[in-house]
Amino acid sequence: MNLKKINECERSRLERWSQFQLSHKWKRIGIIVCLVAFGILTSLKFMEGEFLVHRFVLRRALLIGLLIISLSKDRIEDEMIVSIRAKSFTLAFVLAVLYALIQPLVNALVFYIMDSKDISNSFSYFQVLAFMLLIQIMFFEVLKRNR
Amino acid sequence: MENTIKVERAILNLTQDELAKRIGVSRQTINSIEANRYVPSTVLALKLYAVFNKPVNDFFKLSEGD
Repeated sequence: MNLKKINECERSRLERWSQFQLSHKWKRIGIIVCLVAFGILTSLKFMEGEFLVHRFVLRRALLIGLLIISLSKDRIEDEMIVSIRAKSFTLAFVLAVLYALIQPLVNALVFYIMDSKDISNSFSYFQVLAFMLLIQIMFFEVLKRNR
Repeated sequence: MENTIKVERAILNLTQDELAKRIGVSRQTINSIEANRYVPSTVLALKLYAVFNKPVNDFFKLSEGD
């Protein structure tokens, strides 16, 4: 296979992957998964016990639900919706990076203000991913409403 | 980019919804194009040409900032 063919193959494969989307009915499934996972996670807060495995599974279920919502098509998926979706992904990505950069600083600031004994300068990937997916979905809906 | 889609649509006595269905987009997209909030792609412009049966530059004009 020569270089031109490799480039062509690479481009067509990347384009196919970048256009991957779920059908509109998946949006409802994603919302249900999110609501169920969020509901159970919230109720676990008020129960006694560690529930480490449950939390681990439910957090992933919440992320998968958000990802399903994020990837599912709109009822009429026209070129304007595609453009709005691209904008929302860009904004979510930039804000997630800023969040990851600022969050430890906020923690440090709280540590100095509150004179806390234990400084926590780490955060979970769940926090960042959930933040990014939520921001993407939120921006997408806001931009879509104001189009 | 400025356009006269609204005028062309009125000439053909089409609603936003009818035009949207003809070119396979949502009514909101037609509304955004008419309000100059969204510049359609060449594909969509050519679909509009097929509906209005006029050259694309008859209903799309570059504005000063473009």
